[in-house]
This record gives sequence, structure tokens and C-alpha cells, in this order.
Amino acid sequence: MNYGKQSNRRAAGRRAGGDDPLGANSEIGRKLRQYYDDLVKEEIPDRFSDLLSQLETQDRAQSVGKKD
Amino acid sequence: MGVYDGFRDDLLATVPSLRAFAVSLSKNTDRADDLVQETLVKAWDKQTSFQPGTNLKAWLFTILRNEFYSQMRKRKREVEDSDGAITGRLSVHPAQQGVADLNDFRDALALLPEDQREAIVLIGASGFSYEEAAEICGCAVGTIKSRVSRARSRLQDILGIDGEGDFGPDAIATQIASSAFSN
Repeated sequence: MNYGKQSNRRAAGRRAGGDDPLGANSEIGRKLRQYYDDLVKEEIPDRFSDLLSQLETQDRAQSVGKKD
Repeated sequence: MGVYDGFRDDLLATVPSLRAFAVSLSKNTDRADDLVQETLVKAWDKQTSFQPGTNLKAWLFTILRNEFYSQMRKRKREVEDSDGAITGRLSVHPAQQGVADLNDFRDALALLPEDQREAIVLIGASGFSYEEAAEICGCAVGTIKSRVSRARSRLQDILGIDGEGDFGPDAIATQIASSAFSN
């Protein structure tokens, strides 16, 4: 966390003061981030990369078709 | 080739957080993967409506959220039934001593109404501002704030966690300060 700037310090103060309900002091906030970060770190199925390649190939085929 | 160079890579880079959001919403990995897949197809189809330089992540989250709610309307009855079952089961054993593990947290999160759950996830975990979350959810900033606040109170109730600050550095600082005064 960066306390160097005035605005950051104010923001941190708000969090500590409870105005930001999910700040560093909040157990709920910490658990929520832990829950979410675990999900983000999960291995991503190949299907998404494959899907995008497929969509790209389709587009390319279509734009070639238009030029002809 | 997408609407701009690297559009495909940017989409792919957003998949982990899209997927985390999708799991949070749908409470189910298979459904979440279907939601992400549908979101990518929709995003690709209407990519010309995306303005390069604006927030791609927020744009994708909006698409995914819309897709989730349109799917949910279709199977509303089923969702309500399973929510009821979970509520009944969980209310039997509240979390012990305020120290809830991650599974308890996940179960508690699943008990929240969708609007509160998405608000607290967008603000507390996905890294969006209140303004961005309001745009994603199509509501006022104040609405997001009150949903986050209600979500948090509800989670505290379910998990048996006392009010904010109990475990934070400020609470400790307050204790030290007050013991210093009493000496």
C-alpha cells in the first residue's frame, strides 16, 4: 500500500474509518478477496483460447470472401 | 484480427477475472464456463460497438452479467428452489467463533441475493470503482453502495463476525492507546 500521496492517505483513512466497508480492516473484505483470487488463479480451460482462434479464423475467411 | 490489434489477446487476458465473476454469480463452475464462452462470442460479434481505449474489462463484465440474468430468468423457478435448500441447511450450523474458513465464506456468499452478491464482488474483489460497478449493473452509484453495505452486514451475520475493525491494525492501535491511557 502506498501512503506517499495525500490522496492515498485520505483514501486509506476512509478505509480504516469504515466508510469503505471492504477496506483493509474488514475481515469480510479480506475473505472476499481471498475467495476471488483463488478463483482467478484457477487454470483456464483451453476452450476459450480455442474459441477465440475459431472466431478469428471465421472473420478472416469472411473478409476474404467479401474481397472476391 | 479483431476491432483493433491485440483485441483477441485482451479478451483472453480478461478470462480469469470474467470467470471468477461468473462463478460468483452462478455458484457453479460449469455454468460459469458457459457464461464466459457466451460472453466471448457476444463480445466478438459486437466488437465494433467497443471503443478502443475505454474499459474493456467493464464492457465484458456488463455482457456477462446481462447474459447471466437472461439465463436466470429462464430458469428462475429452479434457482429459487435450490437457494431455499441451501438456506435451510446452512442455518443449522452458523460459523464458529467468528473464524470462518473459506468454504464457509463461499456458502455465505451464495446465500446473498444476486444484486448484493454482484455488488460486493465487483467492488470488493474485481477492482471496479463504485461508478464502474453502477454502470455494469445499470443502476445508480448510491444503489451499489447500499447493496454492498447490506451484503457486508448479511455476511457478517451469517459468519458470526462482529463489526468492522475487530481484527484490523486500527483496533489493535486503539487497544494500545487505551491501555496507555489507563496506566
